[in-house]
Amino acid sequence: MNLTFLNSAFLFAASAAILPLVIHLISRRRVETVDFSSLRFLKELERRKIRRVRIRQILLLVVRTLAILALAVAAARPTLSGPAAGGAGRARTSVAIVLDTSASTLRGGEESTVFSSAAAAAAEIAGLMDEGDQGFLVTAGSPPESALEGGTFSRGILSGAVGELEPGFGATDYGGALELAESALSTSRNMNREIYVVGDLQQTGWRMTTGEPRRSSGSPPVALPRVYVVPVSGPVGNVGLVSAAATRKYGGSEGLYSVAADAINHGRVGGETQLRLFIDGVQVGQAGVELAPGAVGSASFAVVVDESTWHSGRVELPPDALAADNRCYFAIPPARREEVLIVGPDQEDEGGEAYYLEHALDPAGEGDRFRVSTVGASRLGNQEQGRFGAVILADPGRVSVEAERWLDAHVRSGGGLWVVLGGRTDVRSWNDGGIPGASLVRIRELCERPSGSRLVPSSYGHRLLDGLVFGERLVDEIVVRRSFAAEVNDAEEILDVPGIGPALAIVRPSDAPHGGEVSVLLTGLDASWSDLARSGFLVPLAHRLVDRLAGPAAGVGHAVVGEELSVEVDMARPGRVDVTLPDGRVVPAAVGHRRATIGWPHTHAPGIYAFSLDGATLALGAVNVDPKESDLTPASRRDIEEQLEGLDCAFIDPGVDIGGQVLAARRGRELWRVFVYVALALVALEMFLARPRVA
Amino acid sequence: MSQETYRRFLDPATVSKLATMELRARLVVEGFVTGLHKSPYKGFSVEFAEHRQYMPGDPLKHIDWNVYGKTDRFYVKEYEEETNLRGYVLLDASASMAYGSGDVVKLEYARYLAAALIYLMLKQQDSVGLLVFDEAVRDFFPPRSNPRQLHVLLSELDRAKPSSATDIGLVLHDLAKRVRRRGLVVLISDLLDDPDEVLPGLRHFRHLKHEVVVFHVLDPREAEFGFDVDATFRDLETGELMTTEPFSIRRDYVRAVDDWMDRLKRECAESRIDYVPILTSTPYDRALFSYLEKRKRLG
Repeated sequence: MNLTFLNSAFLFAASAAILPLVIHLISRRRVETVDFSSLRFLKELERRKIRRVRIRQILLLVVRTLAILALAVAAARPTLSGPAAGGAGRARTSVAIVLDTSASTLRGGEESTVFSSAAAAAAEIAGLMDEGDQGFLVTAGSPPESALEGGTFSRGILSGAVGELEPGFGATDYGGALELAESALSTSRNMNREIYVVGDLQQTGWRMTTGEPRRSSGSPPVALPRVYVVPVSGPVGNVGLVSAAATRKYGGSEGLYSVAADAINHGRVGGETQLRLFIDGVQVGQAGVELAPGAVGSASFAVVVDESTWHSGRVELPPDALAADNRCYFAIPPARREEVLIVGPDQEDEGGEAYYLEHALDPAGEGDRFRVSTVGASRLGNQEQGRFGAVILADPGRVSVEAERWLDAHVRSGGGLWVVLGGRTDVRSWNDGGIPGASLVRIRELCERPSGSRLVPSSYGHRLLDGLVFGERLVDEIVVRRSFAAEVNDAEEILDVPGIGPALAIVRPSDAPHGGEVSVLLTGLDASWSDLARSGFLVPLAHRLVDRLAGPAAGVGHAVVGEELSVEVDMARPGRVDVTLPDGRVVPAAVGHRRATIGWPHTHAPGIYAFSLDGATLALGAVNVDPKESDLTPASRRDIEEQLEGLDCAFIDPGVDIGGQVLAARRGRELWRVFVYVALALVALEMFLARPRVA
Repeated sequence: MSQETYRRFLDPATVSKLATMELRARLVVEGFVTGLHKSPYKGFSVEFAEHRQYMPGDPLKHIDWNVYGKTDRFYVKEYEEETNLRGYVLLDASASMAYGSGDVVKLEYARYLAAALIYLMLKQQDSVGLLVFDEAVRDFFPPRSNPRQLHVLLSELDRAKPSSATDIGLVLHDLAKRVRRRGLVVLISDLLDDPDEVLPGLRHFRHLKHEVVVFHVLDPREAEFGFDVDATFRDLETGELMTTEPFSIRRDYVRAVDDWMDRLKRECAESRIDYVPILTSTPYDRALFSYLEKRKRLG
């Protein structure tokens, strides 16, 4: 047995018990002195009557003090811990039901799903609420939400709220939901505080945000909540799509895209699975993927699309235990034609860096992918800011201060800069100059390797080198004979020359919020410097690098259900952007101003979300079910107990009477009523003792 | 002055506002006498002896030869009472007599009552003396009946102030030893002393064949203990302090005072002493009636 106080702050009110004594002392000091003819009769009375009066005064003092103490203790809600009996005096209970509404609960048969079983269990738990108990309801989907803000003291309201819930397509987040439930319960002062986790207990949903031991969020005497885990079982074997994405094939025919899709088998049986590709709602491909248990399989589709418009696509799997993860959506934006400015020396010879780069970016001179302009170094600085997505300094030699300022403004406003060093580069001018990025790439010296060194990738998995790397080497053997040795800071290194150092690096020099990137190639394209210009490596590298430096393709967004979908739009004029939801509803999204980032937080369902202005599509966003939701394997009890470390945890097996198990474990008896009765009795006694005794 | 105007002067509060003791005494008595005309005492003369011309048939012994010597005419004294009554007014001027809850403190009341009695006695040709005491005899004026006596005694009353503690028994015994001729002893006191000391002193007078009237003067609050809030009481004679809740002990206090007065009344009656309890709010005529009753019995 242990006595605790649920509102211990009220114990400070007990200090008011000193008030009767203070008042007594003050009133004693204030007693008037009265001249009287003789105390003869008073003295006679003193022996019996006056002494009794003094004893009564002391009694009154004690009774008043005790009455205040009893009221203060009652307000502090004293509770005797121990097995609770029902009826009056039973300690009240606060219940938080964490109900799994994630996509995985959609599985099951026609008659009942995991969610419907979980909701039935939650309704049964809600039915356990007694008078004075408080109930909260939290959904464990992504994001976790409180379905009853502030909770309720009504069993009917809690049951009704459970009945109104529907399963969604979000990922399971028991961790976030438990934190929300704990936070809700921390506002409660009831002695018994219980959290019920009702769902399929997917192991992927148990990642808690903190590994620190739990501590009570309420005042110290209030115990941590007891967690009841109520598992609801369903089929476990499942194949789900992990991703689907379309990438433009470089160097191929116009409009040629590669769609790659990954699927994972979470079941125990392997086999071939057919993946179907749909573009704009029409099936355009099918591929078989062999999926061993626990393995990921990939399928690749080549499709040709009209690059002048938007396309939505999806990859589908055959029906299985969980339908929600059998579709994966993606979007293909119209091809953009980026403006590129190549700055070369004023007197450019054929075979110089600018010449090679111009032909690498626009081999046919038709500007179908990049619109390339060339200019001499002395004429840099008069160009319109914002016109060029990327600027290439192709070994132009020294540039003017005005040109450096123009380049700085270009990078600060988000533009990309590619600096190709070469024979005209002066080390001191570079290090002391104001070209963006120079402060982060400090040249030490020019290194020469007459026999040549092989150019190698610095980062094997870098997207810029995708498909251009074989093992630890580049597909093309590129020899570097001369290169600047440099010290790079805060750089993303792409290529390297063994013994010399980085050959290609990307830095972000600007502290502006949307500042652009600067890439520095520390070796030249001329044959005396390297074989880059003569290799097949330059064209894809130049295309990908300029693509990256020019910024992400506007208008394509990706998100999983529950996350905010964010897209970049480039609007012809400011206006209200509408979003067309996957179910066809059109709702206003935001007011955009030319180039803007628009976020749409209400991604409740997977599909394509189309952002438009006056009916013209500005952007497409693909929202998919979180791949982790495909793994339907429930967490083991041990894993759950580890995740709930520090909390009193109990499992309620399927088929067991929830009420029987829970009510037997509830503890405590509130004693505030007893103290109120004691206080009332003391007040009555006080009134009796203090009643006037006038003759 | 009209009768009603005179009657006003029986009220202690009214009398206390008058300027001199003589005026107070005269007006109290005038007011009292005015009231007597309507009372069962009508016909009892308290006027000065009147002279009228001798008429044939009048007893010769009533001729006032003094007047005849001065005027050469015969006059007889009508209703003149010749008495040898000697009155002693004993005034308690102890500190406890300084208590008063209203307009009049006990000593004031006692002084005015004494003055009225002295005035009345002298007007009735009685000789009257005054003794002012506290724990001992402070001043003593033997009985006289001459006109100057009134001025002397009233002046003494005017000067009487409350002083120290009381020892009534001692004073009574002391006076009883001094007084040889039989007379009327009028004691005006709050009697806040040990009854076992007071009553033997009174009986001492009776033993010497004196007639004794005791005017027991009390303030209404002394009798009823009418205090509402807790208070610390300070004894006027000893300075002693005592704190108590009046409402809690009132009943017992009043009972104790009643017992005390009952004892005084009973034991006075046993000794044929007139015991007259008087509150300071009581009009003076009650005390004067008591005196006249006694005077009448003395013939």
